[in-house]
Amino acid sequence: MGAGFCFSKENMHGRLACRLVKEFNSGEKGQLNHFNEELLNEVAKECSENFLVLQSLIRKMQEEGLDFQTTRNADHYGALINHLSLIRNKRCLLAYVYNRAEMIQNLAWTVGLRLFELPEEIQEKLSHPEKEYFKKHSSALESYMSKVDLDLNVDMVPPKDPYIKVRVLDDVGEGIVVSDKAANFARHSMHFLKRTDAELYISRGLMEELTG
Amino acid sequence: MAEDFGEGSTAGMDEYETLMATTDVELLKTALRNEKAAPEILQIQTQLVKRAREQIQLMEETVEEFEQSGMDPLTVSLYQMDLDRAQFLLRSYLRIRLQKLEKYMFYIWKDDSLRNRLSEPEIFFVKRCIDDMEKHLEETVLSKLPDNYQSAGRQSIISEEDDMVPEPQLDTFVACKSSNRFVSLRLVDRYKSSFFWHLLSLIFSFFQKQVCKFAFINLQWETFGDGAP
Amino acid sequence: MENSRETGSTNDGDASPRNANYYDIDDILVEGELVPVVFYKSANGVKVDPSAEKDSVEEGAKVELPFWLAQELYLRQAVSLSIPTCFNQNTRREIQADAACVDLKSRCPYFYEFGCKIAPLVGDRTIGKMLLSTFQMRYKEILTKAHTTAYAPASKSLAVLTKEETSLHEAARSSMAAFKKWRIGGPRFQRASVLGRKRKSTE
Repeated sequence: MGAGFCFSKENMHGRLACRLVKEFNSGEKGQLNHFNEELLNEVAKECSENFLVLQSLIRKMQEEGLDFQTTRNADHYGALINHLSLIRNKRCLLAYVYNRAEMIQNLAWTVGLRLFELPEEIQEKLSHPEKEYFKKHSSALESYMSKVDLDLNVDMVPPKDPYIKVRVLDDVGEGIVVSDKAANFARHSMHFLKRTDAELYISRGLMEELTG
Repeated sequence: MAEDFGEGSTAGMDEYETLMATTDVELLKTALRNEKAAPEILQIQTQLVKRAREQIQLMEETVEEFEQSGMDPLTVSLYQMDLDRAQFLLRSYLRIRLQKLEKYMFYIWKDDSLRNRLSEPEIFFVKRCIDDMEKHLEETVLSKLPDNYQSAGRQSIISEEDDMVPEPQLDTFVACKSSNRFVSLRLVDRYKSSFFWHLLSLIFSFFQKQVCKFAFINLQWETFGDGAP
Repeated sequence: MENSRETGSTNDGDASPRNANYYDIDDILVEGELVPVVFYKSANGVKVDPSAEKDSVEEGAKVELPFWLAQELYLRQAVSLSIPTCFNQNTRREIQADAACVDLKSRCPYFYEFGCKIAPLVGDRTIGKMLLSTFQMRYKEILTKAHTTAYAPASKSLAVLTKEETSLHEAARSSMAAFKKWRIGGPRFQRASVLGRKRKSTE
């Protein structure tokens, strides 16, 4: 619950939107929550209501022959407040989606460029448009990387040893290819892999680095 | 690294040493540092990138030759490490730029001077980012909003200008080191600062390297020709 | 050290251009903090006054509005603003007594940012000084010690930190952890943070 709020009326201007924004980072730090389609639609509905009220107040003033800009009466201020509420709600809605989109961009960098490379738990949290956005953004990244002929989503950590020791955490079997050897990557097996080959698998939690 | 390997072409090794002795790796390191520290995107170092790629290519071929010529593997791996480091620098440099483009796509696109700092592939990338993001925002939010409020750049049609564009904080503090002993910088606080950075500057001023407002440093780069930090 | 907020001059262009921070979650939440206002004018078709019977607010009504609304109405001279409760005399006395113990988080999780935004609008020139000295005292007492003392006492005092203080603490903590890791060594490749902690794999 928001500290400092003492109202319980949910239909106060902007309260729902605030809830949506708070929900963005309400889970564990740095992690995506399930896309709250329902709450988002409720806020969008509130925007429509704001707009209806706004329009009716302006119309009322026009019918009374008053100039909306200059006549500062109760209707004018009412319309103003509804307008301000609308843009506040808009800001909250967009911030929710935009910040999630930034996290999706981060997924492409750190976990993988293909949707199937994202773990199930993550995919579940994304809405359908978000999955599409992920695909498009990954494709934009791939397009750049092929233009400069360099993979940029590996080599994220300054190189120390060219080969690292890893242990396989999840069964990956023959599903993966490494540049200079063929091996069976069964669970708990240990291997010496090239840094850049192992990197993404470690990032996805499929392997872990061993030291010492 | 001047060791006697007995057999093996010393000519190849000299060539390699020459390659490594060029200062491009240093330049790349500097470019990366600058890009990392600066809140806004800097001018792309096209020539440097091109040379770095060529040299990395050459190094790769040289290392392969060494491997096949039966050079002692420890030595080969040392050369490989150098190669990896150069590769890392180049990738990081390009990567950090892309990430800035992702973050400030609208802002960079709107400003011609910033757009001119990008390479061609980067320009393509930003345009795609913007298209993808705008479509995404439209599909998930903007299409559900009333008319007059559907713009991705303006809050409503009565906005006089684009008022929804996230900007990098140009008056954030950066740590910098001057490369020349030139005239003392007058670190006068000409720019309004946000509350916290003001206080943190008290703490940072105890350290050797000076911390100053990025925007101020930016200005100095332009006025001091070759004394640029 | 000069503090532009003390002069009560126009703020850092915060009034309308929301450019820089439009999508910033913290900025949005700061602007959701409540400000007590008194309406100079009445307004129809609005749900801001819980005590009103119909959807309107009367002239003279005393209401608490979120900052984003209070600011705009103030700039259009439709309301007058009062100092929010988190900056009142009670809190200031507590702070003066022992800043490090005051649970600022429950007073206002964005104590400093909110204070910075509200100060130029309510024309109270003492808020700036108060924020600064509060921060200095708490920084000295809590944030600098949080890394050196054992964790048990630290976690209690961390619960009273505002969002701004918490992010400073986090930054310091993670820098320290990164430095230690660099010194000591250990696995350098990690599972992506966005994936969360490892769960026990189901057999």
